Formats: sequence, structure tokens, C-alpha cells
Amino acid sequence: MLQNHVFIALIIFVLTYTAIISEKINRTVVALFGAVLMIIFQVIPQKIAFGVIDFNTIGLLIGMMIIVIILRKTGIFQYIAIRTAKASKGDPWKIFLLFSIITAIASALLDNVTTILLIAPVTLVITDTLKLNPFPFLFAEIFAANIGGTATLIGDPPNIMIGGATGLGFMDFLTNLAPVAVVVFIVTLLILKFMFRKEFKVTEENKKKVLGFDEHKTIQDKKLLIQSGIVLGVTIIGFILHQAVHLESATVALFGAVLLLLISKVDPDEVLMEIEWSTVFFFVGLFILVGALEEIGVIKMLAEKLVALTKGNMLVTSMLILWFSAIASAFVDNIPFVATMIPLIQNMQSISGIDVSPLWWSLALGACLGGNGTIVGASANVIAAGMLEKRGNKIGFIKYIKLAFPLMIVSIIISTIYLMLFYV
Amino acid sequence: MNYLNVEASQHEMKLIQMGAKVEQINSKMCYIKFVIDGLPVEYVYNLNKKNKYFLERINPYPLAIRSYEKVEDIVKVIEVDVRQFQNMVKSKNVQSFVNITNEFIDIIKKFEDLILYYNVPAEKVGVIMGKIDEINQEINETKKTANRVFFDKEPENLK
Repeated sequence: MLQNHVFIALIIFVLTYTAIISEKINRTVVALFGAVLMIIFQVIPQKIAFGVIDFNTIGLLIGMMIIVIILRKTGIFQYIAIRTAKASKGDPWKIFLLFSIITAIASALLDNVTTILLIAPVTLVITDTLKLNPFPFLFAEIFAANIGGTATLIGDPPNIMIGGATGLGFMDFLTNLAPVAVVVFIVTLLILKFMFRKEFKVTEENKKKVLGFDEHKTIQDKKLLIQSGIVLGVTIIGFILHQAVHLESATVALFGAVLLLLISKVDPDEVLMEIEWSTVFFFVGLFILVGALEEIGVIKMLAEKLVALTKGNMLVTSMLILWFSAIASAFVDNIPFVATMIPLIQNMQSISGIDVSPLWWSLALGACLGGNGTIVGASANVIAAGMLEKRGNKIGFIKYIKLAFPLMIVSIIISTIYLMLFYV
Repeated sequence: MNYLNVEASQHEMKLIQMGAKVEQINSKMCYIKFVIDGLPVEYVYNLNKKNKYFLERINPYPLAIRSYEKVEDIVKVIEVDVRQFQNMVKSKNVQSFVNITNEFIDIIKKFEDLILYYNVPAEKVGVIMGKIDEINQEINETKKTANRVFFDKEPENLK
């Protein structure tokens, strides 16, 4: 009976992941379908299936989404973008540099997709005005978003999932991942500057048009801006202190979200309507799918194989996870990949008794930075490419990979050196 | 939804820089289509939480009907409108009616181009006004002599 369960579970899991990777069917629908099949075929009882959903991850995602939805209404991102463009005096390289820095910082505090959705529209308006090709700017912002997101617990879904499963907090991520993320970011920017050096030519007339923008017009609701700014600040302080005050990160995010809803009096229906529910339910489906494999012992078996393969050597295991995560995340969605890897690493700890802490950083660096490698490597890439395509600037898979994959490899080499120097 | 937000953000930024106050409202756009004896009759309106619904007929000729505060009002207006068209299609002149209305709409567009692109002399404005008075007079006289065929409600514009 148990062997039947293993067989059925593996078939459901492999078919579901294949369908997700193929991107022929909506990934949320496939993940939920696979999850429900796991319950129908009694691989995992419904009660346990609902129990394996990591509500810390779900709560953190929803809480941050609510804060961003309200913050977006204030026009603050347009204000910052125009201020930056004007401070750069319309100089394309300075705009390129400063927009990338803004994207990286924003992405460390918000998730990557949200950051791209906020920064890309203003970038497109500025590049339109300057009559510049938007591709180098969006390409740099994709990298900045994925690198910035690597630096914190809340910056990228893989980190949110790792934090939710392990109890590692905001400061753990910041102190362990931010230093290497900064180095990767600087090196990437230098390479990008060289790559796109011929793209930054504008006329004085177009520069003047950018200087003619009025950033003050963008702030349409000052009261809401102040309220949102205070709540975002309180939430970030909450993330910094959450372990010290024994609160989960989801509690902090949800507190910020409901506090902002309460004081801003923004229509909650309007806000809740804009939450990316398909992403939330995608996570729910994945948690159940992976939970089912764990329930029947498949994850434990894989962990045993991995421990036997690496003989418990931390350097080998760490490098294997880093590079495998990076290459895999460049081609497949890093969320299902990380969802599977988390219980695998947890099982490795219980089997071998070794301290697996460095492996979490290998996984986070590989999964987050690996997403830069191809156009389908991360949701932020897909969205930015979609925006460019809608404007008639289609980037093919090959064109993107030629530029991005070597850059991604550079970031993984830097991560390798960092992990070898400080962890293994 | 993502792409919509990105598009909307770009429009918002450009329009704000032009001096506009931009308010984005989540709403449902509804397209309604009837085919009455081969004549397509179509409407469009949006539903939102602001209780302001803009109804427009888009076929057989475009006409902004009005804004309403209750969803039921919209359905009632469409119901009456459809009955009026059901009545109208019985006439052998139906195609002429549609053509004349479309001609009026074309004339409005041409007149707008005239005043937006050219400096129109005052005497020509007077001539055009005179032609409109003639048409108005013709419509009123036709109303007096023609048999009324629809009694469910009173005309809103032709008193």
C-alpha cells in the first residue's frame, strides 16, 4: 500500500512539475490540481495537507502585497524616479546607474516582481522622453531586482520560504547575504556599463524635456504618503527586531498591512482585489505537493542519497547546492525548486547531524541569482520582457541568454568565493 | 493584471505631467449585444463602487446615453431602448434612419475638425447655425405630422 502511495505521489509530482516548467498551462492551476490529486489519492490526508502549508510565508507575502498596493497609490515611485532623472540632468548613464540602485534597494524591501512593476513604468516614460532604447535599462533593473532581493528575508520568495521553514530571521539574511549581494551588484553594474556603453546617447533637447518634469505633481495624496511611509518604516523596524521580540515575520507584515488599511481608510475591497492571489495559491499548491512527498518519505530518501553522495562534506554539498540551484533556477521557476530543496536540506540535517546553516545561504544565493540567467528564470524577467515585447522591443530567449547567462555565472563565482571564504 | 497596472502607471505619469488629476477605479466593463431582425444593437457600460455608471450605445450608431447611479436604471434604459429598436426595425425606412443618424455623427466630427484646425469666420458660423435651425425645424414639423408609434415613455429630447 505504501509503495503504491510512493508510486502515485511521484507520478503526480513529476507530471505537475513538468507541466509547471512547460508553462503551457497556468502554473497555479497545475500546482493546485496536483495538490488536490495528492489528497484524493490519499497520499496525504487533507488535515495534514492543510497543516503543511507554511502560513508564515503566505502571511508575509499577503502583508507585503497590501502595503505595496497602498504605497503605490501615493505616487512616491514616480516622485523618486523624476527626482533621480532630474538630479542626473538627463544623463542616461547616471539615470541607468541610479535607477538600478533604487531597484536593488526597493527589491531588498519588496518582492522582485512588485519592484519591477513599480520601476518599469517610470523607466519606460523616462526612456521614451529621452528617445532611448529601454532594453538596457530594464535589463539592468531585472538584475538589480534579483540581486537586491537576494539580500533580505523579504526580498525574494525563495528567501521568504527558507525563512518560513527554518526560523532564520530578517537580520540573519541581511548579515549573511547582503555583503555578497552588494559585491555582486557592483561587479554586475560595471560589466553592464561596458556592455551597453554605446546605448547612452541623447540630444540636449530631450534632456531638457526630462528636466521639465515636475515631481511634485506625482504626489496626489500627501496624507496617504505620510501614513504609508510611517507604516513601511515601522514594518521594516519590525523585521529587524522580530526575532528579538519573538514574533514571526508574517506577524510583522500583516500588522503593517492592517495598520495601514485602518489608518488610511483605503477601500479594503479595492486593495484585496489587487493582491496577486494566483501567486499565493501557487505557493499553497506547492507546499502540499512537497509536503506529500515528505509525508511518504521520498524527501528523506533523497536526502540520504545526497548525504551518501557528498559523504557529508560541507564544501562539496554547499557547492553542489549553489551551482545546481543556480543552473536549475535559470531555466525553471525557483519557487517550486526551493520548495523541494527545503525539506531535503532539513532531512540532511536530521540524517547526518551536520550543521546545515551554510547550505541555506547556498540555496538562497543559487536560487535568487540563478534566476537572472535566462528570460524565464524569474517572474521579474518574464514581466519586464513582456512589457518590452508589448512595445515592439521583443527580446528573444537566445539574445537574452547570451547577455545574461555569463553575468549570472559571474555572480555565482563571486558567491562561491564568498561561501568558501566565510562558511565552508 | 500586472500588465494592466504597468500600462495604467505609464498613462498616469504622463497625464499627471500634463496637469491632469488622475483617479484609477477598479471596475467591470460590460458589453451587451442584441440582434434585432438582423440589426445589431450594442451597448457598453462599466460597473464600479463609485455608483456612477456610464452607458453608451455603440451600435447601430454610437451615442453616449447618460450616467446613472443605480444598476437597475441601466437595465431599464436598455430595455426601453431595445423595445424602441424592435419597433423601429418594422419600418421600411430603418436603414435610412441608421444612415441619417450616422451622417449626423460624421457631421459633428467634421465640424469639430473645422473649429479645431481652422479659423472659422463669424459669417460662416452664422450660415452653419442657420442650417441647423432648418434641420431642427424640419424635425419638429415632421413630429407634428407623423403618427406616434411608441407610447411606453415620453421622448426626452423631442418635447
